[in-house]
Amino acid sequence: MDQQTLTDDEIVSAVLAGRRQDFEILVQRYSGKIIHFITRMSQDRDEAQSIAQEVFLKIFQNLPYYRKENNFSAFIFKIAKNMTLNWLNREKRTVLFSRLLAWEFNKAPFRQEPPLVSHHEQSERDGDIMRNLRLLPEEQRLALILKVYLEFSYKQIREITGWSIPKIETLISRAKSRLKKNIQLQERSREVVYTARKK
Amino acid sequence: MNCKKVFRLLSIYQDSELNPALERQVESHLRDCHACRSEWEGMQELVGNLKCLQPPAADPYFPTKVMARLPANRAAKFRLLPAITYALVFLTIFLSVFFLQLSYNNTVGAKKPQAATFTAVLLENQDLGLLAVHDNTLALFER
Ligand SMILES: [Zn+2]
Repeated sequence: MDQQTLTDDEIVSAVLAGRRQDFEILVQRYSGKIIHFITRMSQDRDEAQSIAQEVFLKIFQNLPYYRKENNFSAFIFKIAKNMTLNWLNREKRTVLFSRLLAWEFNKAPFRQEPPLVSHHEQSERDGDIMRNLRLLPEEQRLALILKVYLEFSYKQIREITGWSIPKIETLISRAKSRLKKNIQLQERSREVVYTARKK
Repeated sequence: MNCKKVFRLLSIYQDSELNPALERQVESHLRDCHACRSEWEGMQELVGNLKCLQPPAADPYFPTKVMARLPANRAAKFRLLPAITYALVFLTIFLSVFFLQLSYNNTVGAKKPQAATFTAVLLENQDLGLLAVHDNTLALFER
């Protein structure tokens, strides 16, 4: 049978029956989405690649616990979500610890938040969006990213996060309002600076 | 439907998660209300801008990297092989040492060597097992 026509559940069965090499089909099928998700959550492209590798290893280890109900996507995104949030918390602590050390020894911190507009060409507007996404409260950001970038339905988001539909509605709605307000404020302040320079 | 309610439903409407009846009400309100329409347009622009952030370029070697890091198939290695392999390994050691002892006794006489006999065995691909078999243990088999 053609690999592309196999369902996720069929591939999982094959892997569990000993055809380990078939796991690669699942990696090919989902790595793009998983990496996109982690990149948007962490805003760090390089880290996202290595976190994604760990996520797929974890998925492989957890395959025996997957209950086949044609919701493999929710199963793996739940794992990706947990591991990314863990990484973010660890990173937050490291940045904080590094700042404390730097303050104590009067040196530059060894770890800083990753640069937003770094080695990848990005427009000013993209930079604004990324910065503002990062400033959103974690739950709002998670809900918005799952909706806007991964195009999951509210029901799928409920499966991944365990939140109720009303909570998801509220989180996404608040995230949008907040982003809209902040981006508008930034654009306005940039205009003010621009017109002030012109005078 | 009043503006306050429409404001609350706008994001859900945008995500196409509203039931058809409410959807129609929101749409008819948006046609007539300038304030809500302007809010709606702002929201559409925002999501349009969000979608401009492209997914990162795919690394064609990513699946290969993951496959190379999968844990070794421990279950098969330790459950199927050992039953036969380890039994054979031990049997071989005991038999060979036993026959060595026999031939030693036959040629030299009654005095037994006191040194332990060490046997290195390659148990698995990477695992080198060192087995120490003392003569006192072997004496049990000789009786
Ligand atoms: Zn209105």
